[in-house]
Amino acid sequence: MQSTATMDAPLHWAGHGEPQSFMRRYIFSTDHKIIGIQFLFMSLLFLLVGGILAGIMRWQLGYPSQPMPGAGVLPETMAVDGIILPEFYNSAVTMHGTIMVFFAIMPLLVGVFANYLIPLQIGAPDMAFPKLNMMSFWTAAPAGLIMLAGFFVPGGHAAAGWTSYPPLSATPEYSGVALGQQLWLISLIILGFSSLMGAVNYITTIINMRAPGMTWFRMPLATWALFITAILVLLAIPILTGALIMLLFDQTIGTSFFRADQGGSPLLWQHLFWFFGHPEVYILILPAMGFVSEIIAAGSRKPVFGYHAMVIAIAGIGFLGWIVWGHHMFQSGMNPTLGMTFMATTMVIAVPSAIKVFNWLATMWRGDLHFHVPMLNAIAFVAMFVIGGLSGVFVASTPVDIYLHDTYFVVAHIHYVLFGGSLFALFGAITFWYPKMFGRMMSEALGKVHFWLTLLFFNLTFFPMHQVGIGGMMRRIYDPTQYEFLAPMAPTNRFITIAAFLLISTQLIFAFNFIWSMFRGKQAEPNPWRANSLEWSVPSPPPHGNFPAMPQVYRGPYEYSMPGEREDYMPQHVPAGMPASSPTPVHAG
Amino acid sequence: MQPVAAETTAAVPDTTPHPNYIGIWGILFVLTVVEVGVAFVGLSKTVTIFALILLAVWKALLVALYYMHLRYEPGRLRLLAIAPLPLAIILVVAVLTEF
Amino acid sequence: MDHTASVALDPRRPMPGMGVYNMKLGMWVFLLSEIMFFTSLIGAYIILRFAHPDAFAEPGEVLNVPLTALNTFILICSSVTMVKAFAAIQQGDQAGLKRWLIATATIGALFVGVQAYEYIQLAGHGFVPAVDAYAAEGRPLYGATFYTMTGFHGAHVTIGVLCLLFVTWRAFRGKYTAQSYGGVEIVGLYWHFVDLVWIILFTIVYLI
Repeated sequence: MQSTATMDAPLHWAGHGEPQSFMRRYIFSTDHKIIGIQFLFMSLLFLLVGGILAGIMRWQLGYPSQPMPGAGVLPETMAVDGIILPEFYNSAVTMHGTIMVFFAIMPLLVGVFANYLIPLQIGAPDMAFPKLNMMSFWTAAPAGLIMLAGFFVPGGHAAAGWTSYPPLSATPEYSGVALGQQLWLISLIILGFSSLMGAVNYITTIINMRAPGMTWFRMPLATWALFITAILVLLAIPILTGALIMLLFDQTIGTSFFRADQGGSPLLWQHLFWFFGHPEVYILILPAMGFVSEIIAAGSRKPVFGYHAMVIAIAGIGFLGWIVWGHHMFQSGMNPTLGMTFMATTMVIAVPSAIKVFNWLATMWRGDLHFHVPMLNAIAFVAMFVIGGLSGVFVASTPVDIYLHDTYFVVAHIHYVLFGGSLFALFGAITFWYPKMFGRMMSEALGKVHFWLTLLFFNLTFFPMHQVGIGGMMRRIYDPTQYEFLAPMAPTNRFITIAAFLLISTQLIFAFNFIWSMFRGKQAEPNPWRANSLEWSVPSPPPHGNFPAMPQVYRGPYEYSMPGEREDYMPQHVPAGMPASSPTPVHAG
Repeated sequence: MQPVAAETTAAVPDTTPHPNYIGIWGILFVLTVVEVGVAFVGLSKTVTIFALILLAVWKALLVALYYMHLRYEPGRLRLLAIAPLPLAIILVVAVLTEF
Repeated sequence: MDHTASVALDPRRPMPGMGVYNMKLGMWVFLLSEIMFFTSLIGAYIILRFAHPDAFAEPGEVLNVPLTALNTFILICSSVTMVKAFAAIQQGDQAGLKRWLIATATIGALFVGVQAYEYIQLAGHGFVPAVDAYAAEGRPLYGATFYTMTGFHGAHVTIGVLCLLFVTWRAFRGKYTAQSYGGVEIVGLYWHFVDLVWIILFTIVYLI
């Protein structure tokens, strides 16, 4: 990695040979494609763990204090005779959120696709710092193990919610959890290093290593979204790390940053957490928006409507994300002037979000729509994102939020944007880039079954949550039957639970499809979707070093169905007048 | 290994300007002494804080501009370097209004 | 990969980008995140102090300002030796590079040593980060914020010294030349940044 500062050093292109040993090639690989696939396996595993935790919570809410089938395998500290204990329920709530946000969705969006796509889409042979990239994965993996280890320590896992508000999180006496909470903190601090190494790599690579002709406004929107996301990761994660360190000191050595009984301020934690937390929310949606833009353009055979507006909207959301964190804290007794400011800035975010939605719709408008699995998932993303965005406008309004705060309405909102939004986009993106990653297509039939069932059960699960939320059900409640005013919601809760279990079961189809297709799927051509960006110009999977020679970029990434062309797509690397299926050009000299 | 980044700085010797590092060191030393003086000379609290922040920013700028060579870097790198400062200020100022 | 339908292309360079080499840009990007990290710690101190002025002492009441002023001067000296090392290798002066690098690492280690001495002294007077010891005088916040901020800065200096030793070792093996000095430059950037943070910390923690 020793760089040289000279101008005239010869340009090495894919100069290093492919490592031959299994360890160097697949385990401690410095190849961005392998690292992306490593992140893919890790985060899908965590997605499964998070889903199981969600199932445990749903059982308790639908059938309070009845023995859960299969819960007999859980140790006495988690469930007695199959009945979920309140302490374990609190851990399950906390860890469902933590694992889904930090170890499933965030690595899926950033770890997998930023690694895999950025060098391929900008025409670079690898990341700027391949060894740092490898370390990024091998820091994330231990962080995940530490997080999982927390389930098996005395006192159980962290139980203060994924937001870990003090005093519950800072004072072991309050939650009864000491070691679990500390492992939670340590794991996230380590994961922060991983994200940081990733972000430095992505930003440097995108700024400095674009192929000739790949101007800023010829970059695919996926890369644009990942670039802005990397900036958010870079600047938001250190704030969380600082706050986590202070909380860890409160937990272990008895400092008092966040302990009101010693003069500290629990509100300070909330401010620091959400100053990180709101950019984090956009870290979890911006890449999804980028992937969806790619898929919708390719699936509609039309250029993305308003490419520049899309870029500006991504950057706008990225900036606005920094000045809205207070809307998570309207109930904290906030200074009303500040509250109004946060309310106004939050409402403004609806503008760039709406620009993106209208642009996706306009891209599809009168297009030659191909309803393949990625396209279906991308359209579902747009629809679900609109629902989640609208409920977001509800809770952004201070007077409404004072009523809805900490109810299931908020749970419905977050799942419409995070599951309905990010996860649908991810199902689409994984199916879309799967042939590039593994050289085989995922099964279209299984993909469609999975998509329609997921869409159905997703809405049956989360839409009724709006209703129980408005009915006043608190979001972290263990047993809703203990309050009389929640009794009328028991049937709805049971309905949600049944739908949730069906939703979780449906994901087995995806898991089967994912693994089966790796061995039995149809062989993939280099460009199965007839898309334009550079990753489709190389074989599937691309060789070590990606491109046979430095590609030359001639046009933007979305020139579909251009008038006067023989084919309905025109890849970025093909000179004018050449057939669209031309391979990557090789230097003549 | 990887291709050398685009337009690596044309680092032919002698093209990077070398300001008078020792002179700047002297200024930093004097400013530090002035700072300690200001802190204990017994001015009003507001004036002291204002003056100290001004002096600290002055020193920080000297280090960033000359020792870190920001003055001689491309403008976009200078822009990049100050990018997080507005965010940092927004965070602290907004939270301060809460207390 | 041999494509028959190859197209003649001028071997061109990638897009201009930031105009600095990858490692330097990477270091700058990393420093941005460091700014945010110290923002969280220093911000917490400013906010807590603003909220509870009584929980903090006046300058010089608890902390040893003359000693730390001396230490500040020590760190500034290490910055000037660092930049001298950089200037030396840019002119191909190998002996100068080694001399100034050793000076920088030594002065940096001296800074950490003085800080350790300061901690021991303060702890001896009962000024510790934990709640109980200073709680009698109602100042647990002061100790917690002071040790966290200066401690993490000290950790950064320590890491910087280790990096400097590594660079020095490479310098003795002749790895840097007037054309190739990336390692010296980026460790220098990190070192000056740590110095810059100390300038802010010294003012905010010791003098205000």
